Amino acid sequence: MDAENSKSGVTRRRFVRDGILVPLSLAVAGGAVSTIFLRKGDARNFYLRPPGAIEEKRFLAACIKCGKCAQLCPYNSIRMAGPEAGVGTGTPHIVAREIPCYLCPDIPCAKACPSGALDSSLQEVEKIRMGTAVIVDRENCLSIRGLRCEVCYRQCPLIDRAITIEPRHNTRTGVHTIMEPVVHRDKCTGCGICENACVLEKPVIVVQKSPPVQKDYYDF
Amino acid sequence: MTISRRDFLKASAAAAAFAAAGAPLLNPLASGEAEAAEAGIKWGKAPCRFCGTGCGVLVGVKNNRIVATKGDPSAPVNRGLNCIKGYFLSKILYGRDRLTKPLIRKGDRMVEASWDEAMSLIAGKFRESIDKNGPDSVAIYGSGQWTVFEGYAASKLFKGGIGTNNVEPNARLCMASAVTGFMTTFASDEPMGCYDDLDLGDTYFLWGANMAECHPVLFSRLIDNRLRNPNVKIIDFGTRRTRTSQMADQYVRFNPQTDLALLNGIAHVILRDRLYDETFIKRHVVFKRGKENIGYGLEDKFKFADEPKLINFDEYREFLKTYTPEYVSRLSGVPAKTIVELAHLYADRKRKVNSLWTMGFNQHTRGTWVNNLVYNVHLLTGKICRPGENPMSLTGQPSACGTAREVGTFTHRLPADMVVMNPEHRAKAEKIWGIAPGKIPAKPTYNATEMFRALDRGDIKVVWIQVTNPFQSLPNLNRYRKGARKGDGRFVIVSDIYPTRSTELADVILPSAGWVEKEGVYGNAERRTQQWFKLVDPPGEARNDLWQTMELARRLGHGSLFPYKYVEKEIWEEYRKFNEGQGKDLAPYEAYAKARGLRWPVINGKETLWRYAEGHDPYVKKGEGVSFYKNKADHYRAVIWARPYEPPAESPDRQYPFWLCTGRVLEHWHTGTMTGRVPELKRAYPSAVCEMHPEDARKLGIKHLQKVKISSRRGSIILPVDLNGRGKAEKGNIFVAFFDEGKLINDLCIDAYCPISGEPDYKKCAVKIEKA
Repeated sequence: MDAENSKSGVTRRRFVRDGILVPLSLAVAGGAVSTIFLRKGDARNFYLRPPGAIEEKRFLAACIKCGKCAQLCPYNSIRMAGPEAGVGTGTPHIVAREIPCYLCPDIPCAKACPSGALDSSLQEVEKIRMGTAVIVDRENCLSIRGLRCEVCYRQCPLIDRAITIEPRHNTRTGVHTIMEPVVHRDKCTGCGICENACVLEKPVIVVQKSPPVQKDYYDF
Repeated sequence: MTISRRDFLKASAAAAAFAAAGAPLLNPLASGEAEAAEAGIKWGKAPCRFCGTGCGVLVGVKNNRIVATKGDPSAPVNRGLNCIKGYFLSKILYGRDRLTKPLIRKGDRMVEASWDEAMSLIAGKFRESIDKNGPDSVAIYGSGQWTVFEGYAASKLFKGGIGTNNVEPNARLCMASAVTGFMTTFASDEPMGCYDDLDLGDTYFLWGANMAECHPVLFSRLIDNRLRNPNVKIIDFGTRRTRTSQMADQYVRFNPQTDLALLNGIAHVILRDRLYDETFIKRHVVFKRGKENIGYGLEDKFKFADEPKLINFDEYREFLKTYTPEYVSRLSGVPAKTIVELAHLYADRKRKVNSLWTMGFNQHTRGTWVNNLVYNVHLLTGKICRPGENPMSLTGQPSACGTAREVGTFTHRLPADMVVMNPEHRAKAEKIWGIAPGKIPAKPTYNATEMFRALDRGDIKVVWIQVTNPFQSLPNLNRYRKGARKGDGRFVIVSDIYPTRSTELADVILPSAGWVEKEGVYGNAERRTQQWFKLVDPPGEARNDLWQTMELARRLGHGSLFPYKYVEKEIWEEYRKFNEGQGKDLAPYEAYAKARGLRWPVINGKETLWRYAEGHDPYVKKGEGVSFYKNKADHYRAVIWARPYEPPAESPDRQYPFWLCTGRVLEHWHTGTMTGRVPELKRAYPSAVCEMHPEDARKLGIKHLQKVKISSRRGSIILPVDLNGRGKAEKGNIFVAFFDEGKLINDLCIDAYCPISGEPDYKKCAVKIEKA
């Protein structure tokens, strides 16, 4: 046995050291590095995952990086993260400003997921929760400044539900309406179409990680 | 008139303000601080290049380039605001594929040429065709985006020089029914009211108008009226649920074409329940009935002449008898109860009622009739010519009113409501133009559709297209696109700033100056005439369309028609002679250089907000109250017309079971040649979709975003389906926007038109839908 082992050049000790410890330590180190990269690579500290993605930590553990979801996306919205994502390298995500999720009615990406990282039982696009659109820069938003823009609202696939228009009097001109787009968190899927469509150089509406619901007992 | 441009610039304070460092004069908002931040930017004023609203903008120029635009805070129309198209005005002239050199077709290739080569080729073709086939074998096709000067020069050259009435604007496709509506009811074109009515009224009926997207800044004003006055009601009549319906108090869905019946139904109830204003009717109204069963203009060389007969009030009442709420309800799908309620709302003495409409009325095979019918309701109730209470036709192009309608660049029209059929009108034009009596032909030739039919047949050989894109915007496009390239002596010239679906069919492409690359005047929907100076040079060898037309004139031996030194100003002063004393008076050129537009008639420097109204319109004498003083033939009264419901040219059937309606979206303008070059707008709304009702889709097994093939008897197209977009199609209807040059939806549209106005119906034809 010993002779055979020495022939192949792999001892038990060596196997344990090279096969388990090294990758493990690399992974641990990589994890630490990845958090740094995630912060650096994405100021929002948030990767927009495909429809049906489970909670981020569990997602990272579950995703086997097979790329099936990206393969089935008809709009090439889903891309596989590069090394900048560290531990998330090879995981699928969406850069909404480039190509958002168009919410295919049959959700082919989630259906194809073999690992459970994406919930393949997801049936209705309305139930998708990838994140939440937020107007991050009210001062620059053209609609809030009184111009008739509201592109985010009109392009929202859940128009009048996820984004509505709240009209109010424009005191500057005295005769016009400010048509302010308002995002409703309970309806927003986080598809990123609004972020993609925003006409400003830096989009003033962006998809962020959905904040946790803080429960109380009010009915409204 | 020998004043030079230089003298004039010196004399004109506002111009000098731009020319010199006094930019703040045109930019009252710029404080010292702002100026520092905008170092080196000079600001000039201009009306927006897009729709007929006519928002004022300030254009920032640095190093002979537009570097910024902003809403003009001192412009009364928009008070510093813009829509998203207006926000990006600074980019519309700087698309990468801007045309900068004349191009001449050599086989399948377009080859660069000098202006001299291009113009001598063009002049040669004109001369050859006129000599061989007569002056009616050449034509010019312009637009409601022509400046007043460009339209005026085209009309003067063709009607007064070449001697053909082959002059048409694309406004025939968009405003012609409003024109014939105004002419038949009031004997003078354009509204009595103005935008102030949006602030002053309390009841607004919108008919076939998606104001929220197509007149964004005006809509914002209308909604603000409601925010300030809880009493305000907005009722949206439509065949499609739009963003306008979404914000209206009431959306009234009706079956396509039944607006005719609905308005007669409303009039029926007003008479039945004695809600009319008897005194107003007695003093200001006559009743008429014209020909019926008038056809659809589907066959070439279609001709129609109405034969109006005077009727009395009782005969009109008799005519309306059939339009009971129940009968109208069966036709339109609107509940009888709603019809009665809305008739009462229209006639409510305590309410200030306005009607607003756009293409739903105008692009209609009975467009003139439906315009007449909405005036009927206002005339019956006397709710007209009062502040805050008017019918108001909105326009889609920046100078559909100013140029196409006021200068009269239609085949039958001359400036200031005059027509070529009237010998006195021709004589007046010939006198002002200094041409031989009898030069202007007495017979109108072709409306826009017929003009391109004539090109297809070969009756027109040479056509010059300026500032418009007919080979994307005509209905039944297939026929006219093919017709343009049939050869056999046909010669198509297109002047534009970018390559378009029309330049691709041209024999010569001329690079034009756009917007503030030239001096101009536009007239908006509320009769406001707005002037701007040239602020930057056009790129490369691009030149003003006005110069192009005058250059052709010179080469054809008609140069004496344009003896000007400072062309724009002198054309203006000449053009003004047509309008003087006609209820359409315009101010001297200087006044427009200073003002943010003036609403005509302008008398002694004062604009008119409400036409035909005592105390507002100087033409109305004391004690008259209201006078429709342009309608001499009917003793200065307006006409209530008995116009019946008649079905559309084509309705859905078993083979083609859906209605197709076309239109616009906020992000793009018309055929998208300018907005399509603004990356931000392109990103916001990249391509056309087919709006469909979810239930119809389910029946056909079609899912959201799935591609479908839409076909009519004339053509087909493949588009993704949108089941939950900004516009919600009603059952049995689909809607497609026409801006997308990659998807020519107009291939499917029927080229049926209103026999009176000649305007085609882009809102109704029958299509089928299959999975693609």
